[in-house]
Amino acid sequence: MIGSDTKKARRAAAALIGAAVLVAACGGSDDSSDSTAAPSAAEAPAETEAPAATEAPAASEAPAETEAPAATEAPSDGVRSVPDDYPTIQEAVDAAAPGDLVLIAPGVYNEAVDVSTDELTIRGLDRNEVVLDGEFELENGIRILGASGVAVENMTAINYTVNGFYWIQADGYRASYVTAQRNNDYGIYAFDSVNGVIEHAYAAGSPDAGFYIGQCYPCNALVDDVWGEYNGLGYSGTNSGGNLTIINSQFNDNRAGIVPNSGSYELCYPGRESTVIGNVVFGNSNPDTPSKGLADLAYGTGITVAGAHRNVVERNLVYDHERAGIAIAPFPEENPNDDLPEQDEWEVPCEVQREEPLAEVTPEDLVADTYLVWNPYFNRVADNSIAESGLADMVNSGFGTPTEELGNCFAGNTFTTSQPADLETLAPCEGEGSGDWTVDAFDPIQIVTYEPPAPVDYQTVELPPLPQLPGMDDPENAPASPAVGLPAAVETGSIALPTEPFYSSAG
Amino acid sequence: MAGLVLGACAADDGPTSTEERDPLRNGPQGNVAQFIVECELSHLAYDDPIVLPDLPGESHLHQFFGNVDITADPDYDRVIGSDTSCERRSDTASYWAPALLDETGDVVMPTKLTAYYRPGPGVDPATIEPYPAGLMMVAGDAGADDEQPLEIVAWGCGTGSVREQRPPDCRIQFDGDTELEPTTPTSLRLWISFPDCWDDTRLSGLGSGAHVRYSEAGTCAESHPVPIPQLQMAIDFPAVDPSGLSLASGGTETAHADFWNVWDQEALENEVRVCLNRDLVCGVSS
Repeated sequence: MIGSDTKKARRAAAALIGAAVLVAACGGSDDSSDSTAAPSAAEAPAETEAPAATEAPAASEAPAETEAPAATEAPSDGVRSVPDDYPTIQEAVDAAAPGDLVLIAPGVYNEAVDVSTDELTIRGLDRNEVVLDGEFELENGIRILGASGVAVENMTAINYTVNGFYWIQADGYRASYVTAQRNNDYGIYAFDSVNGVIEHAYAAGSPDAGFYIGQCYPCNALVDDVWGEYNGLGYSGTNSGGNLTIINSQFNDNRAGIVPNSGSYELCYPGRESTVIGNVVFGNSNPDTPSKGLADLAYGTGITVAGAHRNVVERNLVYDHERAGIAIAPFPEENPNDDLPEQDEWEVPCEVQREEPLAEVTPEDLVADTYLVWNPYFNRVADNSIAESGLADMVNSGFGTPTEELGNCFAGNTFTTSQPADLETLAPCEGEGSGDWTVDAFDPIQIVTYEPPAPVDYQTVELPPLPQLPGMDDPENAPASPAVGLPAAVETGSIALPTEPFYSSAG
Repeated sequence: MAGLVLGACAADDGPTSTEERDPLRNGPQGNVAQFIVECELSHLAYDDPIVLPDLPGESHLHQFFGNVDITADPDYDRVIGSDTSCERRSDTASYWAPALLDETGDVVMPTKLTAYYRPGPGVDPATIEPYPAGLMMVAGDAGADDEQPLEIVAWGCGTGSVREQRPPDCRIQFDGDTELEPTTPTSLRLWISFPDCWDDTRLSGLGSGAHVRYSEAGTCAESHPVPIPQLQMAIDFPAVDPSGLSLASGGTETAHADFWNVWDQEALENEVRVCLNRDLVCGVSS
């Protein structure tokens, strides 16, 4: 039984097996290199021909929600146009009421927009020509702060010092037909948010991850038809899962492709129950990217489940990785904030877990010179096609706990190599396994001693030109569509194993 | 149980004053409203515009983060709008602390500073007011000859929950195997927590009758009625052998830090309003 060993025994085992150092996910310890001396945001003009919206207020100029510009009457149709009705996106957002549509004309907007109003739809008229540009001065392109049901559609965000599009503590969110490039943490990020959709989206050049859903369980989230390239990680999710589905998407030429993970540096551990089906994942061994945190740990892998539980990885096309195609692997966390949850706590919802009385933890439980090992339990890897992996097409490994006790299973995959060898015989998804777990076993110490290539600065890294991807249909006339009632149920059973990439990179 | 770790480490030694102290601030991020700023070192100087204003070169050696133009000159108008070593470009405030020295007296160069801005423990987030422009604060006791309360001054490793009164050894040990070098070294971290209540009048005030003090049990005293964000400064250093470490101000027990609000005031006010007042976690740090 997994739960029979004590926390301390697990920790001690980890200390015995090995110790080295890792950076926690969510923002590594690499230096945040000085941006070039830059003008104040308020005087930064748009570089290209922008419409009137070049006034570029910093987020701080946002008036209080209730102070709509007196000059502008509330439109009867709930459509607030930028720059026709409001010179800036921020002013339109501040004036808007729940249910309104903020419609943004083509142009470059040097804005960091804060949204605190529920159920807005914020839409560009042209995905590729409505460009929010942080110019390495502003923090987030659009930041949704505790507002529910806000949808962002049909626009691009580049050059922000934190994130492109960022939802915080939102109940209901949606990003559709958006492009995010060269943003210093994440391209599209939903933190502590539930009931959301990220779809038809592109993210490139973010050191942490192109797409990230963190700290939620159950998340009730759908990631559908997204494309991430040249990021540290294509998709990352720390302590997230529970009806979290990633489908029909492409992750190529990142440091690593898809990485659900666990850690005690944020709430709601462990990460659990993400479903990854029908994606194309290749070439995620790209040294020419910026990186932070887990991106270095998982470098050279297509799909890595890093200490997360009960994930389903099926019918993905995975190829060309320096280390592993699909790795079910432990995450050794340095400097933990808590001990591992016991097995009877694995299904506690986030909202309950975060409110529970705090455990008294003695200093011996949190010693400085070892780390906490998150082992991956009960993950299912089936019917994938995996090829061209440097180390092995499939890896299954515990750290401190014998791999055969983790309950991960492998079946129906097309592959050539695995660590340990003959993995589908050792750990089938139905019936009893058999064989010798020691043959070609993966040595987990390499997780912490592997030296990835040095990161590249996010501001200057060479990226593929922004792809001119299709936008939404009829943005001018489509009605407002706040993010409520999401996500729709998905029939994943009908998703076939892809046979080729969905998108062709210009890079 | 999985959960936050609060107060456990403090129990052994207890507060050094009779003042009732609030629990330690540690544990996973995500449960308490915050916004954060990460900064590189700006410069080292024997200056202190709060304690020794207009006396350049007279201070012990300080490491400065944030505003790049800080000297001994306490003139706000001179430094507002200067460049910053922080990722958040609107944070042109200044943060400083005595330099950390190794056993030979050489400076241990810091790798970064993280500034956490949160409501004080138990303080109603909706009541927090931004710092007034130009506010100056000191936290910790430069003249301490014994350990200070962990709630104010603590040493730890990275973002982990360890809080100790002396710098711990953060180098991960591997059962005597020196061949295994960590790929990414962890850090030794100094945590300093600032007062979170202001007297509503003065921008600085050293010694008796300080203009800021700590809340108690979630409440600001009548003498200092304005709840302000609690700044928790965390300075990271390479994980080194902690024996022989000292500070430019004396032994490691003399840890303290200074803050001067030279933020872009509108940006600061916005973050307090949209993040702290609305009880939101606007960002998490590494």
